[in-house]
Amino acid sequence: MEILVCVKRVPDSAENEIVMNSAGNDIERDDLVYSVNEWDNYAVEEAIQIVEKVGGTVTVVTVGDADADEILRREMAMGAEKGLLLQDDAFEGSDCKGIATALKGAVEKGKYDLIFTGAQADEGAGAVGGMLAAMLDLPYASLVNKIELGDGKLTIGREIEGGNREMNEISMPCVLSIQTGINEPRYVGIRGIRKVSGVEIPVMSAGDLGVDAGSVGAAGAKVKKIDYFVPEKGEGAEMLEGSTEEIIDKLIEILKANGGL
Amino acid sequence: MAQLIADRRDIDFVLHEQLNVEELSKNEKFEAFNRKTVDMVVSEARNLAVKEMLPTWKEGDEVGCTFNAGQVIIPESFKRLFGLFNDGEWLAMNEDPEWGGQGMPRSVSSAASEYFNGANYPFMMYPGLTHGAGKLVEEFGTDEQKHLFLKNLYTGKWTGTMLLTEPCAGSDVGALETTATKNADGTYSISGSKIFISGGEHEMAENIIHPVLARIEGAPAGTKGISLFLVPKYRVNADGSLGAFNDVVCTGIEHKMGIHGNATCSLTLGGKGECVGTLLGEENKGMKAMFVMMNEARLLVGMQGFSCATTAYMYAVNYAKERIQGPNLTKPAGGGVPIIQHPDVRRQLLIMKSYVEAMRSLLYFIGYCNDVIAITEDAAIKDKYQGFIEILTPVAKGYVTDRSFEVCNHAIQVYGGYGFVEEYPVAQLMRDCRITMIYEGTNGIQAMDLLGRKLGMNKGKVFMDLMVEIQKVIKESKAHESLAPFTANVEAALNKLGETAMHMGKTAMSDKVMNAFAFAHPFLEVTGDVVMAWMLLWRGTIAASKLSDAKKKDLPFYEGQLKSLEYFTCNVLPVTLGKMDVIKATNGAVVDISEDSFIG
Repeated sequence: MEILVCVKRVPDSAENEIVMNSAGNDIERDDLVYSVNEWDNYAVEEAIQIVEKVGGTVTVVTVGDADADEILRREMAMGAEKGLLLQDDAFEGSDCKGIATALKGAVEKGKYDLIFTGAQADEGAGAVGGMLAAMLDLPYASLVNKIELGDGKLTIGREIEGGNREMNEISMPCVLSIQTGINEPRYVGIRGIRKVSGVEIPVMSAGDLGVDAGSVGAAGAKVKKIDYFVPEKGEGAEMLEGSTEEIIDKLIEILKANGGL
Repeated sequence: MAQLIADRRDIDFVLHEQLNVEELSKNEKFEAFNRKTVDMVVSEARNLAVKEMLPTWKEGDEVGCTFNAGQVIIPESFKRLFGLFNDGEWLAMNEDPEWGGQGMPRSVSSAASEYFNGANYPFMMYPGLTHGAGKLVEEFGTDEQKHLFLKNLYTGKWTGTMLLTEPCAGSDVGALETTATKNADGTYSISGSKIFISGGEHEMAENIIHPVLARIEGAPAGTKGISLFLVPKYRVNADGSLGAFNDVVCTGIEHKMGIHGNATCSLTLGGKGECVGTLLGEENKGMKAMFVMMNEARLLVGMQGFSCATTAYMYAVNYAKERIQGPNLTKPAGGGVPIIQHPDVRRQLLIMKSYVEAMRSLLYFIGYCNDVIAITEDAAIKDKYQGFIEILTPVAKGYVTDRSFEVCNHAIQVYGGYGFVEEYPVAQLMRDCRITMIYEGTNGIQAMDLLGRKLGMNKGKVFMDLMVEIQKVIKESKAHESLAPFTANVEAALNKLGETAMHMGKTAMSDKVMNAFAFAHPFLEVTGDVVMAWMLLWRGTIAASKLSDAKKKDLPFYEGQLKSLEYFTCNVLPVTLGKMDVIKATNGAVVDISEDSFIG
């Protein structure tokens, strides 16, 4: 089984105090610690588990700058065999379609039975998986939280509203966006880290991928972020302030006072 | 969310800006540990520590260990954690890959160790002692012993302990009464009782390997007649499979002030005459072998204490930024402000910050000394760096754990009343930290080690090498005019330490030897203060050189380095000079007072 997992480098929400920048149009990025998007990590774990069962290769791919190398290396230390960095100034400022376009180029350079994305990213629109499938004209399932292997097809579980799950049959090759909770991602150990220490991760540009530079990046983006802000407090809303412990105490008081506990 | 356990920026500073550990990867031995690898090691250690270890720390304290009819139950969550820890192969980070180790530089593993111990050091004692037992097998074991035990220890399949203490043989190990009787097949029958055995019994691993100090029948009295034996809980057959129970019986566990998650056991060996061990190393050379383990264990204890300190500091800073109490003194009508704005809270936080940073640099530097020894072919360099390790070990254990407890104490004070409440983490940190001042040789013994063994080692050359090394940093710092007052204070303290050491050396060799040792601990304190000042000046010199070109995000960090240096050299070192005056005066009250005069 040849599996490509699309991953993204995002600010680590466990490590950062996210604050607005002075222009008020983005978060302050100067001092951020980055890591692999949590949903993508589940997708990589699922791919590794499938390959451990039936053989094959897991390749992780990302669109990003040179720093994005670190998350590919991390996922390779976890167990993915190959990494691929899609890096080009032309990709900068891409919307979801631009990212999907670059990824499509990478998919077409290989031969994959399965393509995974995370269901969403910490700072994204949850759209890349679906767009990629449409561009490749492949079957697609979103919010996948269970995968059973079959002959040329898969039985997959999808998380749907109300905590319910539906089961679907889907033929391969296909694109799946993976939901958290599908597995328990393994931790990276030292042996894995040592294994990838000297690995050179190939880099592909827009040209290498056969992607028209005008169709990606800021120039090709049809969706543009025009503002970024913390919503104003609405009527009836109360923002709890103080230390975590104090906020918890206040919350419990409110729940008790209103019959929630 | 705020950082937990340690300031990652500061760890990166020590590894990459102070020690330049990436340079080590130019040597074949450490070639895998380039910058990217080092950073990933630290990140993944932190990941495991924060996500898996830290959540089990409080449970370990509250649930603790229980004893029932010879069986010890440790916190349930530790078993899963031990599996994850072993899956990641974190137990023998520095050791030879041939035996299940990972060949990592010690400077780098210090960072991982800080995260792990900061998250849950009572748990980390299980793998820590296992590693120590493995190290003994690696250093002194026969090929057969290595093949039977080593890989299983280094991979955490089995755990290990250290059996020294007996009811009448605590600090005086030479008084032990456990006996070993040679059998016809070359093995020894072991008989005796041991106490205070960390991780002495549990069901977390399928076997427990006990290195045991015992006296072979007819051997000389005292430490010269002690031998070291390898005694498994279950005997190990020649093919590596487990055999019969080896008559190592747990008779109880201690109920302690802290580290509740770690079982402190009393063990009876050979109560039924069926405990068999094999000699590890040579007969009557057990203490020499055990010192290999004890030196490593002392550095580990320094790391344990320090990890409590860094964790406590992080909690305290975060709390002080969030806790709103009272107006700013200069704006009395301004309403409540975060307590970090209050001068006395800031004072305590800066004391904590200075110590934590300097102690981190010291512990990592000792790791780095091991790395230099591992890669250099130059015997003189090897000797010099080995000397640094020798003379800094009592500082890293004795001084660091004393100061770490002090840092935990400050953290409680910053929390105020909540600090005294067990619902908040700092109370447990202080309780857990307390034992680090006692075990692996009390801090009084560390002070005696510094004065009695290390100060005069190689006719004083080791101490002189240390002075020269500190002078190098002083010389570099003199290039920065802005550091001049701080540099001058460090230089004055170093010079006076040299005089104090000379005085102590002479006094210890005179008929006032008792007086000298009455001042051993104060001497350890002033030595530690100067070592802290050395580390802070080293850091400050780097910060000063980078300040003008620093990125916006790095500016507060480098400025913070300079403030730590300023605080320590202007507020702590002057007191250190006074303490040195006291030592040089060597007042005799401690020695002269009669036992009858202590209570009227």
